[in-house]
Amino acid sequence: MRILRGALLLGGLALLACGLVGLLTDPYVTGPLGVLLWAAGLVALHDGLWLPLVCALGAATTGRPVLRGWLVVAAAVGAVAVPAVLRAGDDHGNPTLLPLPYLRHWLLFLAVTAAAAALAALVRRSVRKARPRGR
Amino acid sequence: MDRDPSPARRRFDPPLPAPPAALRRGPFRPGAFRSPAHGPRTAVVLGRWLGAALLLCFATGLISHLLQDPPGWLAPHLPPRPVNGYRTTQGLHVIAGLAAVPLAGAKLWTVYPRLFEWPPARGVLHLLERLSIALLVAAVLLELFTGLLNTLQWYPWPFPFRQTHYWTAWTAVGALLVHLAVKAPVIAAHWRRAGAVPPSVPPPVPPPVPPSVPPSGRRAVLAATAAAVGAVTLTTAGQSVPWLRALDLFAPRRPGTGGLPVNRTAAQAGTTAVPADWRLAVDGPAGYLIGLGGLRGLPQTTADLPIACVEGWSADARWTGVRLSDLLRRAGIPAGSAVRITSLEAEGPYRVTEMPAPYADDPLTLLALDLDGRPLTPDHGFPARIVAPNRPGVLQTKWVARIEAV
Ligand code: HEM
Repeated sequence: MRILRGALLLGGLALLACGLVGLLTDPYVTGPLGVLLWAAGLVALHDGLWLPLVCALGAATTGRPVLRGWLVVAAAVGAVAVPAVLRAGDDHGNPTLLPLPYLRHWLLFLAVTAAAAALAALVRRSVRKARPRGR
Repeated sequence: MDRDPSPARRRFDPPLPAPPAALRRGPFRPGAFRSPAHGPRTAVVLGRWLGAALLLCFATGLISHLLQDPPGWLAPHLPPRPVNGYRTTQGLHVIAGLAAVPLAGAKLWTVYPRLFEWPPARGVLHLLERLSIALLVAAVLLELFTGLLNTLQWYPWPFPFRQTHYWTAWTAVGALLVHLAVKAPVIAAHWRRAGAVPPSVPPPVPPPVPPSVPPSGRRAVLAATAAAVGAVTLTTAGQSVPWLRALDLFAPRRPGTGGLPVNRTAAQAGTTAVPADWRLAVDGPAGYLIGLGGLRGLPQTTADLPIACVEGWSADARWTGVRLSDLLRRAGIPAGSAVRITSLEAEGPYRVTEMPAPYADDPLTLLALDLDGRPLTPDHGFPARIVAPNRPGVLQTKWVARIEAV
């Protein structure tokens, strides 16, 4: 365990140094400060805005695991779908880039998964009513 | 973490003063986070999934980097086989990267309370550890964000994508290994489910639909995360996995409908109008110029080779044209030579590319004139383009003007 830990630590520090030195010395990366600002901005948005929102939504939905699960799925798919929705049509004259109706697909996905989640919640409730044991 | 307050260690790790307790408000209050799912067991299970996705991304990303920019010693050994090698590794790269989005989201939610640990830094070592965590999170978020937007050809930032994504990958993986070293005791303690019989079945993957018993907080979180990974994968992987195409809702490319996708159109490259007197120049000891008619008069070969893009999508295509090795031999260029290929486009990072000898010698590497039985269109590289097996799409040079030995 000790040796493994030491090797992980040293190896990790070496790769980390490689990455940072590479970023600072790469001839194409002329403004490493910009990289730092974007990375810090992402962390600030994620930890300062996004996670508080998730925690608030979580608190508002205690005891409703199916609703929570649906929110998690919708958020995850939204993270990859919404950028495509925002960029749809912006193809620099290349019709093979972003060729799908992304907004329509996104709404369709939300509707279908919401219906499935509602069904699952109903089934869950009736099953629990039939077997009133809880936990 | 194990704290060892021995005097020797204290000398290297002096304690830091705690801030006044009056500042301990909001999320810093003890008990501010109540969900039992914030515990270390959830962090370990999600960490395993996320770590696997990240390491898979790193390995496949390195392969892509080496195929595109091989160091001099490696170039003569790059393998043109398997034919579908690059489409597989790069398809996996994007699939694992997109799967890492919900995994990273869930992992960071799980450990969010640790951000508000009190006191914020117990000692110098603890402070350094927290700085390395900040670096890990920043590098992972930047990597996922730039990778995702790159597949949409969306570059809202002021730095070059490729180099930044490459160096940030090393930073992220380095910080991940440091993280594993620091957390090793916690990881070991929670590797198995508490109370599980030691050598039983592998870690539990809970069923996506919770059974009638109300699921514990952790199981619900893991089930939701698994469902999210599944949904993201199924709705995007169709751009690289043909049998998932029917489920593809959100991928930025759709091979199969509207023909073979392209990354750079002829209009973007300024090659819509090819000069009427276009002739390919093959430079060598017996160099020559040859027009389209002359090329069609040479023995033709047909090969099924995928176009596999660095952005993850790939598509099958049937190419017909002249073997590159035949063209080189006619010019007196011997087998085993690397060649330089120049495109008609006026500028662009891939206007001039070098092809290592194993590709130039391969019988499947063509100077293609036809795609799926029809002459190339301008967007696909009319009058002639290179296709080779197991090569990133950006190196399949279109609108070829000149070929020479390096
Ligand atoms: C790949 C990207 C990863 C990221 C971005 C990440 C992020 C984090 C963060 C921000 C913390 C809180 C650190 C603190 O202040 O204590 C944490 C804790 C932890 N991580 Fe990771 N992690 C990653 C991978 C992993 C992996 C692969 C494992 C193990 C398999 C793992 C296991 C843990 C454990 C056990 C904790 C402590 C949880 C606790 O004490 O409650 N992590 N991680």
